[in-house]
Amino acid sequence: MKTKENLDVEESLSLIWTSIQRGDTNFNKIDAVVKKGVCENVMNQLIAEGYVLKDNETIKLTAKGEEIGREITRRHRLTERLLADVLEFDKTAIDEIACDLEHNISTELADSICTLLGHPTECPHGAPIPSGKCCQKSENKIKSIVFPLSQLDPGEEVKLAYIVTTNHGYLHKLLSLGLIPGVKIILHQKFPSFIIKVNETQIAVDEEVANLIYVRK
Amino acid sequence: MANKLIAFVGNPNVGKSVLFNKLTGQYSVVSNYSGTSVDVTRGTIKIDGTDYQAVDTPGVYSLMPLSEDEQVTRDLIIREKPSVIVQVCDIKNIERSLHLFFELAMFKIPMIMVLNMYDEAVHSGIKINGYQLEKILQVPVIMTAATLGYGLEKIIKKIPQAATTPFDIVYSEEKAVSCVDEVLKDKIPYSRAISVYLLCGDKGISNYIPDNLKNFIQTDCLKKININADSFNSRLFNDRNNAIKRITGNAKIVKHKNKFEFLQFIGNAALNPFIGTLLLLCILYLMYEFVGVFMAGTVVDFIQTSVFENFLNPIVVNILDYIKTPDIVKDFLTGEYGLWTVAVTYAFAIIFPIITGFFLFLGLLEDSGYLPRLSVMLDRIFSFIGLNGKAVLPMILGLGCGTMAVLSARVLETRKERMIILVLLSLAVPCSAQLGIILAMLSAISYKATIIWFCCILVSILGIGKLLAYFIKGEPNNLIIELPNIRIPSLLNIFSKIKMRLEWYLKEIVPLFVIATAFLFFIDKIHLLEKIEKLLSPVIVYFLGLPIETTSTFIMGFLRRDYGASGIYVMAQNGLLTHTQVLITAVVITLFIPCLAQSLIVIKEYGVRIAAVVFAAVTAYAVLFGGLLKFLLKFVNI
Repeated sequence: MKTKENLDVEESLSLIWTSIQRGDTNFNKIDAVVKKGVCENVMNQLIAEGYVLKDNETIKLTAKGEEIGREITRRHRLTERLLADVLEFDKTAIDEIACDLEHNISTELADSICTLLGHPTECPHGAPIPSGKCCQKSENKIKSIVFPLSQLDPGEEVKLAYIVTTNHGYLHKLLSLGLIPGVKIILHQKFPSFIIKVNETQIAVDEEVANLIYVRK
Repeated sequence: MANKLIAFVGNPNVGKSVLFNKLTGQYSVVSNYSGTSVDVTRGTIKIDGTDYQAVDTPGVYSLMPLSEDEQVTRDLIIREKPSVIVQVCDIKNIERSLHLFFELAMFKIPMIMVLNMYDEAVHSGIKINGYQLEKILQVPVIMTAATLGYGLEKIIKKIPQAATTPFDIVYSEEKAVSCVDEVLKDKIPYSRAISVYLLCGDKGISNYIPDNLKNFIQTDCLKKININADSFNSRLFNDRNNAIKRITGNAKIVKHKNKFEFLQFIGNAALNPFIGTLLLLCILYLMYEFVGVFMAGTVVDFIQTSVFENFLNPIVVNILDYIKTPDIVKDFLTGEYGLWTVAVTYAFAIIFPIITGFFLFLGLLEDSGYLPRLSVMLDRIFSFIGLNGKAVLPMILGLGCGTMAVLSARVLETRKERMIILVLLSLAVPCSAQLGIILAMLSAISYKATIIWFCCILVSILGIGKLLAYFIKGEPNNLIIELPNIRIPSLLNIFSKIKMRLEWYLKEIVPLFVIATAFLFFIDKIHLLEKIEKLLSPVIVYFLGLPIETTSTFIMGFLRRDYGASGIYVMAQNGLLTHTQVLITAVVITLFIPCLAQSLIVIKEYGVRIAAVVFAAVTAYAVLFGGLLKFLLKFVNI
């Protein structure tokens, strides 16, 4: 178990990292956010332990601080994805749970979750998920277990894993056409549109919709 | 059950309409379902010497309304309370039909199940044990092949034996369903179905729930149950899916054959980026030859000259003379802007043959299963301008008659798409009447002129479309479309569709031509036309560099698109215009606001305010574009 102090450091670094990513580098502003969100005197500790540098009015992260901030943010957003997509938690509740879990997930576990979900690039709220080692491997053609239909090669038969969409209409339409999780589908072609076969039905969708349909081999 | 209603319900593309047409014969009537643009066909079926009312509902995947079609089918069932539902299914996709079956079962209306497309199923090696299915569902099950006429008499025989299925899925959310159902039971019909739709998050269904019960349900059930619509939906799907798996496990036998299928080969070839594009070009060329050259040229010439000018018009004039009609009435009917000479001639001699040809072609495209493939091929182009492949229908219709196309834009699902298509149809899509004359005029100059005109139109469509896609609020609506098998079109079905569409043309569009002509007659009488001409002439003469005489043809173009174009054509033939001027006029008149009939339908569909903004923008764009073209053409020799 990590100490309270440890958790505070991780939490603040994650806050600072996301602020800097957004282009916010004003020291006083971020300091206020950290004071309010974590605790009063953590900033001094961060500077003393060499995670954070103060350069006039700008805040900077050292290499060590940067690594932790990025990693915690990654774990947080991946957890949110897992909760929302696979476990179907309500979107309003996931942030809080992810806040707890992010400190207790190892880098390896985060990579496994990331691979399982098909290396998602955005959290359910639309913020980018920093890539991990597993994602770079995936770019080197190691396929994850679950991946969007758009990455499948034509002619392959796969199982539908889940459909990620906030659009009620799309979901219902795809379900009614027989695209129900667990069903076997074959991708016929990818251009000019995606043509898939489910049972005896041929369905055409465009690339954006193909990106919402996650499948597994 | 005399005078009671038999409703035909089923998924799209299951051959329901063919079956319906064969059962009811030719005396079916198509009409819009009240307050919607959705067509519903009604007819009668004779069973044991008694006539029964029958209705063909729009094809749906589910009764949870996301589209107008689904809404109509569900409302029709709830409001008209059919005494029998005939569910038509595609044997090949029995799973999907069973999903709908379970929805229909909630209404507890006696049903029979028709397993259609027996012939196609045999081809793909799929067999259903009808006897088994009948035993499980406990409603009559009949195998048919509607296009071949096989099994139809069995439907008639079985309708009186229709039964309510006792097969009810015990939902994993049964508690929630019965909680709502307890409140509604005995108070409204179909309470169980309505309870389920309410829990699915269907907002429209609350129209059927009395106001005093709404609050009660809200506080006493929905708050306590605490289940959100999304998860209820997913669970419902899962429950039904499990039940369906059990049923098909017992009754469905699949033997996959790897036989070469010619029609399937065509269907796949039509989607191939290379062969499909060639096929698309061939089909567009055939359409141009058939509709544009044969119908709009040969047939229209014959009807206009031989039938109207040489035969009917003298008769009408003679009759009017004979009964000593006052001059003003005579002028109103057969004068320069007469109801007979303009509205009737226009509606029947010119547009009628063209759209008949168009409808025949469209019917073939629809019935053969090619139209959805066309949508797929063109989806990428349409998505560039904020539409999807489905917009191909109003666009193609726009090349026939813009008035019709504006109405057909109702098939598009979002407001954003309908706005974009409205502007494009008003701005740049030339109708067949205009297109023929413009092409004749330009090809007389040079190929180069035709190409420049075409590029101007294309640039306008793509450019303005892109701008609108960017500025009009709303998410793009992505393409999700089912591709039915390619099949040999059924002529009976196509003819009943053409009949239905021509009736619609006579009822909806022809009156607009009459109103437009009467309006024209009126403003001619008060000499308003000349005043407008005077007002406009500086723009025409100085900005566009055209002779003053062209002003009246622009105004005529608003009243009747081809009149404007033909006015220019005559001027060009008489050498009153230079080649550059002809080209500028052709471009401006294409971009200029649509004809009066189309404008009226735009006002009717979208309201005066939107129509006014669109027309003002279109006019400004046409004039500015013409000015720019005039400037650019200084450097080009056509």
